[in-house]
Amino acid sequence: MKRAPIVIMGTVAGLVGTLTFHTTPAHLSLGTLPGTSASQPPTVPGSGGSSHGHSTSGSSSPPKQGSAKPQPGTTRTAVGPAVNYNFGVLSVKVTVSGTRITKVGIASINDGGMYRSQSIDQQAIPVLEQEAMQAQSANIQGVSGASYTSAGFAASLQAALHSLGLR
Amino acid sequence: MGTVVTIDVYTTDGMAGADVRRQLASARAILQGADAVFSTWKPQSPMSRLRRGEITCAQAPAEVAEVLERCAVARELSGGWFDPWAMPGGIDPTGYVKGWAAQKALAALCASEISGAIVNAAGDIASVGGLGPGKPFRIGIAEPFSPRRLAAVVELTGAIATSGTYERGKHLIDPHSRRPAARVASASVTGPGLGLADALATAVAVAGQSGLDLIEPLDGYEALIIAFDGTRHWTEHFPFAPREASPPS
Repeated sequence: MKRAPIVIMGTVAGLVGTLTFHTTPAHLSLGTLPGTSASQPPTVPGSGGSSHGHSTSGSSSPPKQGSAKPQPGTTRTAVGPAVNYNFGVLSVKVTVSGTRITKVGIASINDGGMYRSQSIDQQAIPVLEQEAMQAQSANIQGVSGASYTSAGFAASLQAALHSLGLR
Repeated sequence: MGTVVTIDVYTTDGMAGADVRRQLASARAILQGADAVFSTWKPQSPMSRLRRGEITCAQAPAEVAEVLERCAVARELSGGWFDPWAMPGGIDPTGYVKGWAAQKALAALCASEISGAIVNAAGDIASVGGLGPGKPFRIGIAEPFSPRRLAAVVELTGAIATSGTYERGKHLIDPHSRRPAARVASASVTGPGLGLADALATAVAVAGQSGLDLIEPLDGYEALIIAFDGTRHWTEHFPFAPREASPPS
């Protein structure tokens, strides 16, 4: 069963919640939660590898609500919002055919150009793209042991899928 | 805590959006509150001040004493392999707090008619219910050597936490040697509470295969480890999901 989610993202210093509300069949627009602090400019940690409590920005462009129902066989593409992760900012592009994900990729990324962040990204991103496909075929609701980068990736992907009226 | 938390709520038909909105707001407030009190990256957080000896536990917010008490229990249950008091730089309950806070946030979502909810704190997951009656949540465990694949899928009742060396941002410290160490590639622990599951996953990752003997007698908790040579070992009732004949379309 496909469920239509509401994606809420906001900025919290050190902690961000991507809140997804699945419901069948109604779409509900929840908008941004009250109490969300103002967006902060993207930050790039000064050193790689540590798990700093950096701020993470939410959606700069909230996904559209109430999208049309997916049509079987129709290929559509959406780009998720730019989301901060450990080393910078990324956004995810997703292509679907009907209700199936056919392609997942990075639409934009700015990791500050530091060697360490770049090398981690080069390793992690193809993996994350593949993970998204794998997760779909495994029919799962989450992955345990996912990395920090993947959380930002997942947040943008989730919003992109939502804008297509999926998941 | 510098982590990303996603919350998924699966509702039954007809549930009012305002209810969910209110519950999500309180779940978020719980996470923010835990971050404000326990962040070791914020110099003025009560936890940071406690670490520097500027305040005593009695002067800190009440949940500090609660968490430290639970950490002491986790240390005991883990045979000392989880030990926030043996971290470089002073006491650091972060390994417990993340799961504890996620579990508390989950409780805020349980007030009304939902079929299930998931609070996912960067791969450590607290859940209640499922997709619907008789449809438990399915959670993948990342394959440590080839993250393109899932090592396993579990049918989740409650919480799952995974620790491993492949994960950035988690530096596993052996509390006995007080040096970075991990004896398996990945350790996952399932159980009713995410705080303890997280602490135990860390403990098993550091202890290695003998860590399974710590988990086996704990009521409701199960563990799966993936050794550096790729072999897998698990406790008797680890909740592997039955394989599906074919993926749903």
